Amino acid sequence: MKECVAMLLAGGQGSRLYALTHKLAKPAVPFGGKYRIIDFPLSNCVNSGIDTVGILTQYQPLVLNDYIGNGQPWDLDRLYGGVHVLPPYQKATRSDWYKGTANAIYQNINFIERYNPQYVLILSGDHIYKMDYDKMLDFHKETKADCTIAVLEVPMEETNRFGIMTTDKKGRITKFEEKPKKTESTLASMGVYIFTWDKLKAALEKDEADKNSENDFGKNIIPDMLATKRRLMAYPFEGYWKDVGTIDSLWEANMDLLDPNMPLDVWDPSWKIYSRTAGRPPHYIASGARVENSMITEGCTVEGELESVVLFAGAKVGRDAVVRDSIIMPGAVVEDGAQVNYAIIAEDAVIQKGAVVGARPEHMADVSKWGVAVVAEGVTIGAGAKVPPKAMVEQDVKDGDKA
Amino acid sequence: MRSANAMGIIFANMHDENIPELIARRTMASAPFAGRYRMIDFVLSGMSVAGMQNIGVVVRNNYQSLMDHLGNGREWDLSRKRGGLAIFPPGAQGAGNGSQGRIEALGNVIDYLSFNKEELVVMSDCDIACDLDYAALIKEHSASGADVTVVYEKAPIKDSLLEDNITYVLGQDGYVSEIRVNDYKKGMQNLSMSVYIIERELLLNVLKDAIVRGYESFEKDILARNLTILKVRGYEYTGYRARISDMRSYFDENLRLLEHENLKALFPKERQVYTKVRDEAPVRYAIGSQVTNCIVADGCIIEGEVENSVLFRGVRVGKGVKIKNCVIMQGTVIEPGAQMENVVTDKNVKVCEGVSLRGAKGFPVFVGKGQCVE
Repeated sequence: MKECVAMLLAGGQGSRLYALTHKLAKPAVPFGGKYRIIDFPLSNCVNSGIDTVGILTQYQPLVLNDYIGNGQPWDLDRLYGGVHVLPPYQKATRSDWYKGTANAIYQNINFIERYNPQYVLILSGDHIYKMDYDKMLDFHKETKADCTIAVLEVPMEETNRFGIMTTDKKGRITKFEEKPKKTESTLASMGVYIFTWDKLKAALEKDEADKNSENDFGKNIIPDMLATKRRLMAYPFEGYWKDVGTIDSLWEANMDLLDPNMPLDVWDPSWKIYSRTAGRPPHYIASGARVENSMITEGCTVEGELESVVLFAGAKVGRDAVVRDSIIMPGAVVEDGAQVNYAIIAEDAVIQKGAVVGARPEHMADVSKWGVAVVAEGVTIGAGAKVPPKAMVEQDVKDGDKA
Repeated sequence: MRSANAMGIIFANMHDENIPELIARRTMASAPFAGRYRMIDFVLSGMSVAGMQNIGVVVRNNYQSLMDHLGNGREWDLSRKRGGLAIFPPGAQGAGNGSQGRIEALGNVIDYLSFNKEELVVMSDCDIACDLDYAALIKEHSASGADVTVVYEKAPIKDSLLEDNITYVLGQDGYVSEIRVNDYKKGMQNLSMSVYIIERELLLNVLKDAIVRGYESFEKDILARNLTILKVRGYEYTGYRARISDMRSYFDENLRLLEHENLKALFPKERQVYTKVRDEAPVRYAIGSQVTNCIVADGCIIEGEVENSVLFRGVRVGKGVKIKNCVIMQGTVIEPGAQMENVVTDKNVKVCEGVSLRGAKGFPVFVGKGQCVE
């Protein structure tokens, strides 16, 4: 038996990441030089002593399945427990896609019960944060909660993007609003829940029987548990947390790694973030290169100039190329003399000689047209071509053309 | 690829005496090289990539660091139910006094050699980091009909190798007509790279006879004495190689990788070099850092200036630091304001604030494992 089993919701398409998630699920999107988004919750699990994790997949699972493999990079290859990828499957009488987050867990009740856990930790695969779930579990036990929701303070103007909790003095949740237009509280749900398993199981079964339900944790399960006077507690989290569901937030979270105050510290040996890596030689900084305030990993070659850049494994930046405030994903190449500003260059894309991608806001006549430019996986931007800011380039751009 | 019909034997401690400072607590096989590797990675990866699935590593002493590095061989894809990686300390298969000779070492694994089924045995030392294509070597050996194939490079004998070299005189047909031990001649020689390929049954036979006669050296006592009976063929390796023959060459060979062509030659796309994964974060270059002509392994945090240097994993370079022509091994911490030129620091060294440490280009300063330079 396991005291606590984690279920990681990784089936989301991440449609607001557009071209970046055409071929892979959001949790598999590369992040921070050598990671993928899912490395954060997975590493948190293993660092918190949780060794049994079910990963619920549905949308474009190939890359994710391959990446997770037997779970060894996260030390989750266990004789009993370990990591299991759980796609929707055919049952004797019928088969269904996962209809919602709650339904995904409902369809895997059998998986959870194999471990006979007292508690179930529900996580999502699209947040970047470091968190000790064990401390949260202690809190859940101490407060004798049926459900504990991790919360953090957000600015009042952002409350409409989150599930907002109102609590009494002791932290018991009295009200839950999903993306409210107007609210009193600024406690936002991080999408991290611990449930006492028998309570969750009952709620899931009840929810499943309700034909009108959207089978969603935020919209259905939590409001119903509140309505039925279950004990829901808010667990305050202090620290870095970011939903990387949009181009801007994905770009920002990468840039946060470069912040001198290190709000997101991946170098701390006591809380390592694990990942599956290809194992390439150390990176090479040529003479004449200039690198400042950047992150570079194995297999990269830098001959040009980098400032505030996250360079992923095997990326190359040629001579006299200038890259600023950008993230260059695995295997992407910025050729000699090209310029990249405020951009996300996805895997294996090529920015050929002298091409210009993105722009700096201070160089814009109309700042409202400014934004992060994205070049999708495998796309080639021809020599001397131009990609304007905020563009989303999914097809090759010929030499000298404008995207 | 179908698994190769050859097993591997790697000698971990051969040539240890070349780098006394570095092997105080390790073997030649576990000497760190090229930022994130150990010398054995090049041999082991080469064999694994060639489809060899049964590889024994013979160790003599100081092998804890090597055992730690190799684990169960998973990182080289050698954690196998059938075969895989096996490590043989002295006495692993019977008595064994831990002597230096290759015959003694092979005698120690005679059972291992006997019960395996591969037709061929490839033997190698760990003092040369190179990109040897073992698959091509095996293929050529099998096609040639030779009893033994020896791998050599065309190179002069460096002073540091005067007491540790084997050279071959080759006939027109490519077969070895003479084997010389510790030759002193000037000019290009066919210098042995201590890689041998031989039929397993044949190896067992000559080995048993050699042990009976109290022989020690595979090259001197088995090969050189029997050139009339054994057909020994030379195989020239022409690719990139870094031979560690003394501390100077250790320093030079690390820095030689700063030529980009060299780095690319040692790590070609088609043959990956595997090593132990340490889950280090990417390198962080702080505001104000200045780095040129360096190779840098993951986990480093750089705030100062670094030029012409090799930084291994997890090195910290503080503000105002100036480093030039250095080989900085794993976990070294260089505090603010320190200056270093022509220095090799072993693992987990600490160089304190404001210290200035300078070696000569031909005579680098070496700072031993875990030392604190105040």
